[in-house]
Amino acid sequence: MQVEMSRRRFLQGGVAMSVVGGTTFSATNLFASHEESHGSVPTTITTKTSTGKAEEVPVLCGMCVNKCAAFARVEEGVITKLNPNPYFPKSRNMLCPRGNAGIQTTYDPDRLKYPMIRIGERGDGKYKRVSWDEAYDAIVNGTDKFKGLKQILDEEKDNRATIGYANGEGLSKEGFEVLIGQKMGTPNYVDEVSICLETAGGGFFSTIGTYPEIDFEHADYQIIAGANRAEAIITPDTMDMFKYTKGRGLKTICIDPRFTNTAAKSDKWLPINPGTDLAFVLALTWVVFKENLQNEEFMKKHGVGYEEYKQHILSHKYTPEWAEPICGIKAKEIYTIAREFMDAESPIYYPGRRSVFSPNDYQLRRAMAIFQALSGNMDKKGGYIFGNRGLLPAEYVKQPIYQNTKERFDTEGIAFPTLKSGSWIVFRNMVLEGKNPYPVRAMLMRKHNPMMSVPNTTKTRAFLEKMDLNVVIDILPTDTAMLADVILPEASYLERMSPVKSYGFLEPSVVMRQAAIEPLFETRTPEVIFKELGEKLSKPLFEVSKKHDVALQELIKEKGEKVAFEEGGYNLAEPFEKPIEERNEEIISEVFGEKAWEIIKEKGVYYPHMEEYHKQLSPNDFQYYPKNKRKYTSRGDSLKIVCKNDSLTSGGIDAMPTWDDAWKFSVPKGEFRLITGRHAQFTQSGTQNNMMLRDLIPTNFVWINQREADKMGIEFGEKVEIKSDIGAIVLKAYPTEKIAPNQIFLLHGFGSESNGMEFAYGNGGNDATIIKDDIEPMYGAAVMHSTNCKIRKV
Amino acid sequence: MARYGMALDYKNCINCKACEVACKEENGVELGAEKHRIWVGANNPEGQWPLLDIASVAFQPSQCQHCEDAPCQEVCPTNATYYDENHVVRVDSDKCILCSYCMNACPYDARYVDDRTMTVDKCTFCSDTRLARGETTTACQNTCPTKVRTFGDLDDPNSEISELLRTRDHFSLKAHLGTNPKLFYLT
Repeated sequence: MQVEMSRRRFLQGGVAMSVVGGTTFSATNLFASHEESHGSVPTTITTKTSTGKAEEVPVLCGMCVNKCAAFARVEEGVITKLNPNPYFPKSRNMLCPRGNAGIQTTYDPDRLKYPMIRIGERGDGKYKRVSWDEAYDAIVNGTDKFKGLKQILDEEKDNRATIGYANGEGLSKEGFEVLIGQKMGTPNYVDEVSICLETAGGGFFSTIGTYPEIDFEHADYQIIAGANRAEAIITPDTMDMFKYTKGRGLKTICIDPRFTNTAAKSDKWLPINPGTDLAFVLALTWVVFKENLQNEEFMKKHGVGYEEYKQHILSHKYTPEWAEPICGIKAKEIYTIAREFMDAESPIYYPGRRSVFSPNDYQLRRAMAIFQALSGNMDKKGGYIFGNRGLLPAEYVKQPIYQNTKERFDTEGIAFPTLKSGSWIVFRNMVLEGKNPYPVRAMLMRKHNPMMSVPNTTKTRAFLEKMDLNVVIDILPTDTAMLADVILPEASYLERMSPVKSYGFLEPSVVMRQAAIEPLFETRTPEVIFKELGEKLSKPLFEVSKKHDVALQELIKEKGEKVAFEEGGYNLAEPFEKPIEERNEEIISEVFGEKAWEIIKEKGVYYPHMEEYHKQLSPNDFQYYPKNKRKYTSRGDSLKIVCKNDSLTSGGIDAMPTWDDAWKFSVPKGEFRLITGRHAQFTQSGTQNNMMLRDLIPTNFVWINQREADKMGIEFGEKVEIKSDIGAIVLKAYPTEKIAPNQIFLLHGFGSESNGMEFAYGNGGNDATIIKDDIEPMYGAAVMHSTNCKIRKV
Repeated sequence: MARYGMALDYKNCINCKACEVACKEENGVELGAEKHRIWVGANNPEGQWPLLDIASVAFQPSQCQHCEDAPCQEVCPTNATYYDENHVVRVDSDKCILCSYCMNACPYDARYVDDRTMTVDKCTFCSDTRLARGETTTACQNTCPTKVRTFGDLDDPNSEISELLRTRDHFSLKAHLGTNPKLFYLT
């Protein structure tokens, strides 16, 4: 192993977080001290792989949401390399830059290493290192600085809804929902859905019954609008799409305000005014109906309210000439694209999962799905694929009933509130504005960083400061962790086995993440934390219920306390009692047989007939399923295209996609519309402290049109202040012609204010501090592209 | 004994830089944006918004070209730069005196200084890591999402790379310099 001299430079001054009363962080024990850890930690940042003995452990990547399969090369207990796993149909034998840099996340010197309890004031960073038992005890009973759950619930007479919780995406997400939601009994749950793709999922589901997969192998034309698959990588779409672009079979029309890497791989790029895609799709639809280009037979068979939709589009006169000034796209382009699309053998309007950009996003997705259906290229080869369901059954949880628990309330301004994950913004804002019908007094947060992910950081901070108790379970001292009263350090994804996960669609499979190494330091795996926390909470919280819950009191009278506790499901740890490996083995063996368990243990992936179907075709290409075993058509006659949905009107939502002039794009003179997005080298705020990725994206520059920058005398790398109605950040400028004169772009996930993360701290700006907390009307999801900003050189 | 080369289906490249990270992790390359054995070249589109020239933009993955007639090898005063048995251009760090002649001579800017050893470092086609373990792909080829690279033996007519070069048009970088690169860009 090489000794990296420059490493010391990185660690100089690296007092990550002020820890009083415990072992302090220092350059010598931050990272390299073996006493601090159960496992080994490498002494260098990058470790050259050896020619000696190594284990190859199947893992699933946890750097973003895709869960690509990999093998971790482990040499003498140290992960030296992550290689793509060629058995997983979804990730197609590849690892992106973040996937490759996952080692740096596990061995991040700023990892949360042991449980901590706040001993100073919120936000001052004063924590005490404690044992896991002490940390759990603080959550249950509080300390002299903050109240515990037992007291809070007692004061609220066992209204479990007084506890809110938030969760980040991942394979252990469901377990946290089971523990806090189903077992502990609070309905007040928020997660990434309402700050991400809620309307994309909802729009497609309610129109065609699924969010589809795309068969790029057989597609020959695509419109990719507002999605950037070259940079915001989604597997397998990214790998499949760009093999065929650039004159190689998949003619690609890219619609995006910004010239992205996807635009660079397209045949045509049309910069659209932000938030006006719906007008573009309506105009495409008008051309199709006007010129009778649609697959009439398909729509007559599958369409619901199809004739009314046709009349709706034609009578509203959604012509390309109407759309031109709204979208900023020439009418003749719209005619051409509509005709080419309907003329193509297998055209695709790419469904384009991404954050909600505009208030009309739900209707945009509806219009996109219907436009795709007009071509008839749906539920068939080369089109939208509905495919198979996942291969695994759902698990049953014994859920207690808490009589005094109130319903969730975050419904203001929302037509159809989602019961499960609610609206982050509405939930937070109603609490801040005192519109909550009962107090919300605790936030339990796992793998979630609302201080950087939810628009309007000022409000998120105020919301968290209002709580009696904040608990954070995470791997790094994020901005949110710095507002926690109790911090529980989690094992990173390379240090744990996770619950098995199944994928459906065209080439279904089951995948399993295994632990490449033991959890470092005193970190614990999520499922162990859920079990232990459940055990610690069960009895004390049951006592609270006994005191306040009349139904429980009667049950106890009838059956005795022991039976009531067990049959009522009050043992919160019960779903986690079996170790994860045992649970996985049981599930896999039961569904597929014992041989399948051996295969998935060795290869990380299993699907029926895998040994027969899986073949290497060339050094770069694998076959997962032979073509004649892929289920291109699965819905058949049962496929419905809901063009008109009358049930929406009860919530004040249009039954059919309809344009509203309030959505026209305009920016006051001297201001810029802020748009945001992703790069392939960064995942939200979760990768901001990763040293390898920092090499590739050192900070988030603000894109500003070259000619505007010239006018303002702003040169590359110069600092500018970006100010909106709610806040200001300072970033370095990147003048470019790749963006319109009245817009600016910046990358999300930078600008941490937590000095616990040495590399992320103060680097760039946090867009959540300047993006206004606007919501769309369907689900209350955050609208990311409605903020105007002023810019000045500083 | 082989004559290793690489074909790059560069139109597949989306400039994600997975190859750069895989290379660093595999070969223990020093951190730092300027310390890299491989990279993706990218240029800005010509024209002004909204009329940008898509055809003017390319993503061009690159690294040491492992030239048959390598200027770096010619100028090295200590024979630190040499051809190994598989025609891979290598650097013997024990012999390197950091005179930096090779860095100036290389027309592809493929060499940099490793601050840890204070010697010149460059792409080795993973000769002392993956190939030494009997693997048949380089780290950059293996990890690539869109499978830009095909590595292999140019002397083996049955190899995938030989097949590609027989059937696909291709070009070399700065071919006029007569360095005879063993990296081939497929068109």
